[in-house]
Amino acid sequence: MKLGYYFGGRASRLVPYLLLLPGMLLYFFVSLGPSLATVFYSFTDASGLLGAPMHFVGLSNYQEFLFMGQNIRDNADVLVRTLEFSFLVTVIQTGLGLAAAMLLNQRLAATTVFRTVFFLPVILGVTIVGLTWTLFLYPVGGPAEKLLNLLGGRSEFLGGPPFQAFLWVTWVQIWANMGVTMIIFLGGLQTIPSELVEAARMDGAGGWQTFRSVTFPLLTPSLNTNLTLAIIGSLQAWQLLLVMKGVTNGTQVLGLIIYAIAFGRTSANPTSVAMRQGYGAAASVVLFVLVLIIGMGAQVLMRQRERRVLG
Amino acid sequence: MRIQKVFLAAALIAAAPLCLFSQGVTLELLIHQNAPLVDYITSFNEKFHAQYPNITVNVSVVKADELATSTQTRLTANDVDIIDMFGFAQGIQPFMKNADKPNWQTLIEAGLLMDLTGQPFLKNYDASAVRDAGSFNGKVYEVNTGRYAFTGVFYNKDLFKKYGVKVPTTWGQLVAACQTFKKNNIAPMTAGGKDGWPVLVAGYGILLSAYPDQAALVKGLWTGSITWNDARSLDMWKKMQVLARDMIEPGASGIAFDAAPGRFASGAAAMLPAGSWDAPAIAAANPKLNFGYFPMPGSDNPADNKYLAGKYDVGWIVAAGTDKKDAAMKWLAFFSQPENYQAYVNATGIMPTQPTAKLNTVLGREVAPYLANFRLGYELLWVNPKGFGQWAQPNASFFKPFNQWDDARKLADQAQADLDAGLKANR
Repeated sequence: MKLGYYFGGRASRLVPYLLLLPGMLLYFFVSLGPSLATVFYSFTDASGLLGAPMHFVGLSNYQEFLFMGQNIRDNADVLVRTLEFSFLVTVIQTGLGLAAAMLLNQRLAATTVFRTVFFLPVILGVTIVGLTWTLFLYPVGGPAEKLLNLLGGRSEFLGGPPFQAFLWVTWVQIWANMGVTMIIFLGGLQTIPSELVEAARMDGAGGWQTFRSVTFPLLTPSLNTNLTLAIIGSLQAWQLLLVMKGVTNGTQVLGLIIYAIAFGRTSANPTSVAMRQGYGAAASVVLFVLVLIIGMGAQVLMRQRERRVLG
Repeated sequence: MRIQKVFLAAALIAAAPLCLFSQGVTLELLIHQNAPLVDYITSFNEKFHAQYPNITVNVSVVKADELATSTQTRLTANDVDIIDMFGFAQGIQPFMKNADKPNWQTLIEAGLLMDLTGQPFLKNYDASAVRDAGSFNGKVYEVNTGRYAFTGVFYNKDLFKKYGVKVPTTWGQLVAACQTFKKNNIAPMTAGGKDGWPVLVAGYGILLSAYPDQAALVKGLWTGSITWNDARSLDMWKKMQVLARDMIEPGASGIAFDAAPGRFASGAAAMLPAGSWDAPAIAAANPKLNFGYFPMPGSDNPADNKYLAGKYDVGWIVAAGTDKKDAAMKWLAFFSQPENYQAYVNATGIMPTQPTAKLNTVLGREVAPYLANFRLGYELLWVNPKGFGQWAQPNASFFKPFNQWDDARKLADQAQADLDAGLKANR
C-alpha cells in the first residue's frame, strides 16, 4: 500500500490539514488569539474586570503612554533600561554559556555533575531563584555581606542605588538562564566532526586558532539560536525584577511596567490604584513592536553571518 | 402503595439540596499579610467552624501591595467569597481633572461587590465609619473594621531611659536623640525597607508636621497654591533625607516589612517609624519589651507635631457573584458580634470602629491623646494626575541609600516638575 494513496484523492488531501487543525486551534486560542485581543484592547479603556463597561478610546492610550506629561521621559528611561538589560544579558549569557560548554565538552572528571550543576537554576523557576538570591544578598548579616565585611566593605546590594540593584538582577537573570545556553552550545559542539579539529591541529593551529577558525564558525547555528532566545527572552523578562526589587523607580523594564499598569501596581501608589488593562495593552503592543524590530534585525544580521561563514 | 412511592420520591428530591448543604460549604477568604491579622483570622475561623460545623473557611494570604491585584483577578475569576479591602479612599474630588477612578469604585460599577446595605451586623459599627470607609452612592459595600495610625514612631522605653533620652516633641530633639543612640552604637531607627513602602510611610510623619491639614495639601497641590519645592516643602524634603540617610540603620533596605517589628523588639534599634498595625507583632516578638508610640516630630514647633494621621484599614467586601451568600453573611455577622470584635481589636491593635469596643493595649493608651485630632493621611486623599512623573510624591525612600537622590533641593524641583507635567497635560 502506497502512502500516496491517502493523500492522492481530493478528499484525502484534506487529511493533513485536519491533522494540523487541533494544533492550529490550540495555537490560536492560547497564543495568537490573546495577542490579537491585546491589540484590540489597546484601543479601549478596558479594566479587565468582568462586567465593567468598556469604551473605544482610539489612540489615546498610545498618546498617553508615549507622549503625555512626563510619561515620555519616564518611559524612555524604561526603554533604555530594557535595552541595556537585554544587551548585557545577551552578551554575557552567551559568552559564559559558550565558555562553560567548551570547558564541559572536554574529557574531564565529573563533567556530567558540572553540567547538571550549571543547568540546575533553569529548573528552579523565577520565584525560587529570586528569593534565594535575595537571601544571599541580605544586607544585614547575609552571606554576601559577611564576605564583603571580610574585605572591609559593605553594600546595600539590592536595596542600594537603582543601577547597582539593576546590575544584580541582570546577573541573576544570566545565572538563571545560562544553563540553557550552555546545553545548546554543547549540542552544537558535539556535532562538529573531530576530524576537522584534528586536521587543524596537524596543520599547526593552536588552541585559540582552532577555536576561532574551526569551532566557532561551525557553532553558528547554535550561536544564532542562543542569541535569538536571549534577545527575545531578555526583552520580555520582568518577573525576576518583580521578585527581587518590586516596582520601584530606577529599576523598571518595559515588561514590568506593563504588568504594573495592567494590574494596578505602581511605585506611586503601592496599595490601591486604578486598573487599566486597556492602557497596559497599549504598552504591551509597544513592547511587541520593539521586540519585533530588534528580533527581526538580529535575525537578518545572523542569517547574513551564517551565509558568509557556512556558505 | 403507588402514592407512597410518589411521596418518597418527592421527599428525596426535596431533601437533595439539604444533603448537599450538609456536606459543607467552603468559604474562600482573601486577606493581606499582617501577622497579627492572619493569626487572629486563623483562630477566629476555628471558632466560627465550631459554631457552624458545615461551613469551613479557606484563607489565602497575599502581600499588602499585591492585595489590589489579587482582588481584581480573583473577583473576575469568581473564586473568592470574602475579601479584605482597605477602607475606601482616593475618591475623585471636583478639582481632580481627568483622574482615574479608584479600584473600589471600578469594582462596584462592574457589579462585582455585593450590596450590604441593611445587613443587621452593620448596626454594630460607627455610622461614620460605614459611611466614610465603605459606602458609595448611598449603598454600603464594605464593613470597615478599624483604623491604624501610620505617622508615629515606636520607641524602646528602656533604651530611652538607659541613655537619658526623652520622648522628642520637636525635630531638633529627635535629631539629638538619634545622635545619642549612634554614639552608643545603637541604631536609632530600623524600617522594612525591602518592601519600599515602609520607608515611604516613615516619611509621612514629616509630611504631616509640614502640612497638618492633609486634605488642604492635596487640594493645594492640584490647584497650584502649594508646590513640592516651596520653602515649607523643601524643609520637609531635607528632613526626609536626614531620616533616610542618618536615622534609619544601614542595611534596612534588605529588611522585609514583617521582619522589622522583630528587629526593633530585639533591641537592635531604638525606634521604628511605622504604622500602629505593627504593635501586636512587636509585643509578640518580645513580650517583655517596654515600648511606646509617639507622633513623628517633623517640625521644630511642637504644636505641629501633636497629630496622628492614618487610614481605615481592614474591611470586608463580599463577591457579588458568590453562591455562598448565606454562609458569607453568617461569617460577617459572627465576626461583628461585640465579643468577637473585641478579641479582634485586642489581637490586631486596630483602633475600633465599633463604639462598644476598646483598644485596651499599650498602643491604645499611647494613641488615646491623639484620637480627637486623628485625620486621614495624605495617601488616602491623593490621586495622581495622568502623565505625572515618577518622582512626584513625598517619598523618603527616593533618597540614598534607598534610591538615587542625595540633594533635597534637586529632588524637590524634580518632584514639582513631575507634578506640573501631569497637571498641565490634563488642563
